[in-house]
Amino acid sequence: MKDKVRDWLETGKVDLFLGYKQVDGHPLPHAFSKENLAELGELIVSPARYALEKLATEILAIKPALKIGILGRDCNQRAVNVLTVHQQISPGQIQILEVNCCPSPLRKHAACSTLQPQTYGAVKLELGVDNNMSVAQMDQFDQESLYSRWMYEFQKCLKCYGCRDICPVCFCKECSLENNDLVATGGLPPEVPLFHLIRAVHMAGRCVDCGLCEEACPVDIPLRLLYRKVNGIVKDLFGYETGGSHEQPPFSLLGESTPPEAEPHSKAV
Amino acid sequence: MTKKRMTFLKELLPFIGLGGRLRLEWISSAEAQKFVKVVTEFTEQIRNLGPNPLAKTYGDSLDSLDLAPAPSEATGSGCGCGCSKAAAGA
Repeated sequence: MKDKVRDWLETGKVDLFLGYKQVDGHPLPHAFSKENLAELGELIVSPARYALEKLATEILAIKPALKIGILGRDCNQRAVNVLTVHQQISPGQIQILEVNCCPSPLRKHAACSTLQPQTYGAVKLELGVDNNMSVAQMDQFDQESLYSRWMYEFQKCLKCYGCRDICPVCFCKECSLENNDLVATGGLPPEVPLFHLIRAVHMAGRCVDCGLCEEACPVDIPLRLLYRKVNGIVKDLFGYETGGSHEQPPFSLLGESTPPEAEPHSKAV
Repeated sequence: MTKKRMTFLKELLPFIGLGGRLRLEWISSAEAQKFVKVVTEFTEQIRNLGPNPLAKTYGDSLDSLDLAPAPSEATGSGCGCGCSKAAAGA
């Protein structure tokens, strides 16, 4: 691993390599460069993850000539695909050194950064939504129950913007969530359920299901589940596989890829 | 684009328990009868669903907390979809 990064840096395949370094016991994102090859000894691989491609994209926005390598997993690859599709980076600007998604014999039960899925308290399970539930399991609830469960989750929101800030595919310069005409300011929780629905809608055809938003959320709102549903719809309606496709997502294109049944009038040709 | 977005939203809203409150129709100014038909139908549909739960649950609690009014204060027509047409017709 370290040899490969050294090789990449020395041969000039990449100018900068974003990985993790242990600092005071915490794995923190760190940029390794040709000038500081000695630092490579401190490069670590751990279950800890961060949206390194987001950092890389921000660096590339300032210095487009750079080539950046990142330590990544499947979700990072998907995010890079989405960023390329949305023209935030050019193909080849970011090279990914892939590591195993979860280096653990517990793989079957693994939920990304944590080896075991988290467990939640009785009140959340009774009134809210279990973050480990699948979309299909959610569909078992009736409308009233779904409504009260989601509202229970949404009204916990502290409006910390953690979900947006960590999101590898949130790159807009102006964020709708900070638009005072769309989301009222000055109160907590932020307008329920508007705040979360705006974000959910914006995740259509973008979310790469990395789950970082949910990990960042201080109040455990099951965001990953919500966005899974969102992209499930995008896949069902438009046949678009977010993160795996090099085509533009359906909401970036006019016309085409409209589901035929959504046509209110059959247009005579 | 509108069609795509609305089809998408129609699938999403039931997931958080707000299904059946969204409808999109194209009505020309020459189609008065269609307008009446659509508004009557939709009003009936919304009435059967009952008042907008957003106004009930969070309109009140937000008011008591003296925060900005919830977006769905309009309890009358119970149409929580931002569809001014139906609200006006109700």
